[in-house]
Amino acid sequence: MTLLSLIVQYAISGITAGSIYAIVGICWTVVYLIAQVLNFTTGEFVMLGGMLAWVFLGAGFGLVSAGILATACTVGIAMILERFVVRPIRYPTEMIYMMMTIASASVIKGISLIGFGSETRTIEPFIAAKPIRIFGASLTPQVICVVGVLILVMSGLSLFIHRTVFGKALRASAMNLTGARLVGIDINKFRLFCFGLAGGLGALAGIAITPITFTGYSIGLMTGMKGLVAAIVAGWSMTGTVLAGLALGLLEGFGAGFISTGWKDAFALFIMIVFLILKTIPLSRRLVRKKP
Amino acid sequence: MNRSGRVRPHLPWFILIGAVVLLPVIIPSKYVIGVMFLVGIYGVLAISLGILIGHAGLFSLAQPTWFGVGAYVAGVLAVREITPPWIGIIMGALFVALISYSMGAPLLRLRGHYLACATFGLLIIGEIAFTQLSDITGGNTGLLDIPPLSINGFVFRNVFHYYFLSWALCIGSLWFYSNLIHSRVGRAIRSSHDSETASKSMGINVPRYRLQLFVLTSFVTGLAGGVFCFYLRFAAPSIFSFALLVELILMIIIGGIGSLWGYLLGSLVIIWLGELINVYLGKVLPVMTGEVEAVFFGVLIIFVLIFMPRGLSGWVEQLFRLGKRTYEQVRRNPA
Amino acid sequence: MNRSGATRHNHEHSKIATVEKDALLHLDRLSKHFGGIRALDEVTFRLEENRIVSMIGPNGAGKTTLINVVTGIYLPDSGEVYFQKEDIAGLPAHSIASKGIGRTFQLEELFGSLTVLENAMVGGHTRSRSGMFGCGFRVASARAEEKRMRDETMEALAMVGLEDRAFHSISSLPLGERKLVGIARALCMKPRLLMLDEPVGGLAAHEIEKFLALIQRLAKEGLTIFIIEHNMPFVMSISEQVIVLDQGSKIAEGSPEEVKNNERVIEAYLGEEV
Repeated sequence: MTLLSLIVQYAISGITAGSIYAIVGICWTVVYLIAQVLNFTTGEFVMLGGMLAWVFLGAGFGLVSAGILATACTVGIAMILERFVVRPIRYPTEMIYMMMTIASASVIKGISLIGFGSETRTIEPFIAAKPIRIFGASLTPQVICVVGVLILVMSGLSLFIHRTVFGKALRASAMNLTGARLVGIDINKFRLFCFGLAGGLGALAGIAITPITFTGYSIGLMTGMKGLVAAIVAGWSMTGTVLAGLALGLLEGFGAGFISTGWKDAFALFIMIVFLILKTIPLSRRLVRKKP
Repeated sequence: MNRSGRVRPHLPWFILIGAVVLLPVIIPSKYVIGVMFLVGIYGVLAISLGILIGHAGLFSLAQPTWFGVGAYVAGVLAVREITPPWIGIIMGALFVALISYSMGAPLLRLRGHYLACATFGLLIIGEIAFTQLSDITGGNTGLLDIPPLSINGFVFRNVFHYYFLSWALCIGSLWFYSNLIHSRVGRAIRSSHDSETASKSMGINVPRYRLQLFVLTSFVTGLAGGVFCFYLRFAAPSIFSFALLVELILMIIIGGIGSLWGYLLGSLVIIWLGELINVYLGKVLPVMTGEVEAVFFGVLIIFVLIFMPRGLSGWVEQLFRLGKRTYEQVRRNPA
Repeated sequence: MNRSGATRHNHEHSKIATVEKDALLHLDRLSKHFGGIRALDEVTFRLEENRIVSMIGPNGAGKTTLINVVTGIYLPDSGEVYFQKEDIAGLPAHSIASKGIGRTFQLEELFGSLTVLENAMVGGHTRSRSGMFGCGFRVASARAEEKRMRDETMEALAMVGLEDRAFHSISSLPLGERKLVGIARALCMKPRLLMLDEPVGGLAAHEIEKFLALIQRLAKEGLTIFIIEHNMPFVMSISEQVIVLDQGSKIAEGSPEEVKNNERVIEAYLGEEV
């Protein structure tokens, strides 16, 4: 392949992965902003989406019904998580929430292993058509589906948050939790909704990406972490997360393509750590007249 | 001094040392002693992590990585016969301390769950590094054929030798940490967790103490890693993973956050629980791997956090107080 | 000479001495703003040694901010802070503390996981030296130092009347005693300057009496005391000098009598009894 087609190919795979990271990042952001919970099961939602879709397809359902069922199940699992694991905590601290969600991720992963086996699974691409050639690189219809899902998610969320009353209430809670409570917003319902939303979006992402990257009981951890990186780098802003996710995907695509594949995952985490540390260095010039 | 003002009791130490020494005599089973070896090693890890999280409020999740680096360095130095094995252990721990010291200053500026995220990232990067640097570490298959530990000609041949070594390390570190917690430095650290502002205002250089504790716990963990690799005679990336972190967190929680002895108790309970699960449920579920074990541990974490947030040591404390009250009541009314 | 005569004589003596002594604490046009809010606006005053000085002012005047800036919790935006003629503005809080400034907090800020004794012993941190290894291995010097600090801390607790509570947990103490723990903790620093932030807020009358006696005793032992308070009778009865802050600026300074009758002060407190 020529250099140009190589570049385009990496860009395509980068945008594909980036779209998924963007959606996963939104799942983290939504839950973090409303519930102040770092939900480590986010990655497992993605895994469940693909896995359950495979299960339902295998059971004879059509693509659309399998997709809907898989998403619904994942939403249900996410809501069960909120209702029975997160909400009952008596002395909630950040750390306890983290430990709970890490533990839940472990549980979901293990149950998936028992239930679905350890092999990777895949589902058929949504559109059975030949890949398009662009500059010598191959663009499969599935990639277009993935990006399409991202655009759908973004526009859907944007409409929801800015146009509906519920969405506005959500934004209000994100900005000022106490104030929101004082005007009668029921935080428990909101948290439940956000977990469900994260579950649904994650599942959609998982279903969309499975024909390309396959799925397996263990993909949850890394996929989830990539989304977390995007959310952190973007400072928990919604649009920022999408951009960061895409950027991460592209960086990874080119990095893995031109440098090496093994360290690919470490790269994203390294960026997260660097960003976290950089954020602690104050940007404003303070009056520091002397050192001790 | 302990909470009631009496001199800190020496009795529990004697009981512990006595139990450790007598166990191989009472139950000279290689299997049991082997498991108890693990209890000792993981006890060191649990106590170190527990001090960081419970007393200092530093949510550092990179413990398995320090454990692994200590193990790999000691193992590689021994396999390539660069140093005698026991020096390898110390070198490994020093190397871990060096890494944690250089990363510690910037990392520890992060608060709360951001520190957790960053160290979690380190954990995963560590696992990837162990796999990718296959020239040194043997990659996924791991570092094999590590020779047995030997000090000045005395070779650690059987499980009993390693058992005593691991418990020497465990009791030693428990003693050190316990002294530390009740001392000036310990108060400085604990106070910085309760109120960093007030602590600073009392003249405590909080970042410096945090870094010191961070490096100290990583050093001790590295030591444990070194001992561990000589017992196992190999090291593999899958050991020093997220699953180990889940286990350690469970040990801390079940033991009860805030109690050093609780963390050790947590190690005892969880290691044996893991063994029981493997032995009995292994027959029912053929796919018995660390992942499935993790399901039980995950459920247990959730259960404990919701229903028993102060862990077993909280229970023991309550029982103790109840017992004392009953005893005093009976004494007053001998009827 | 009778009592008032002796007092007058001492006052004359110290007035002369004031002119030659340098101030223990000197704030020079200290300013601090948070975003658009000027919390401190070019505040300037001098604190002489061995005096009891109070700072009053309406809520939100910037009084706590002033303590926070002096003790290094906040960095000033402009202006100077001199303690014992040394420029301390910009130093980290723990350095400033070790130079001899102790403080209490409006909301106590006690260490919940430590006992009363341990809380107070934290105050003694800057007067001890044992490091991580000394403490961990319980070397003889660390043990000796611990015993010394413990004895000194018990003395401080006795001074505030809490020696019976030494091994109690903080959560079991009523408000008045918690405030005393804060003071004992600051006293263990053996500071030159003690800054108290609303020390009698919420206390009952008899507790305030005890507190008054404690302050006077500390002053007699050479401590310089700076008190932020809202309780006017308390302020008026104990202070040698009163500084009034309103919206970040110093609007009056002088003896309690002078301040009480100051027009601007009355205005600032419109409606309140001074």
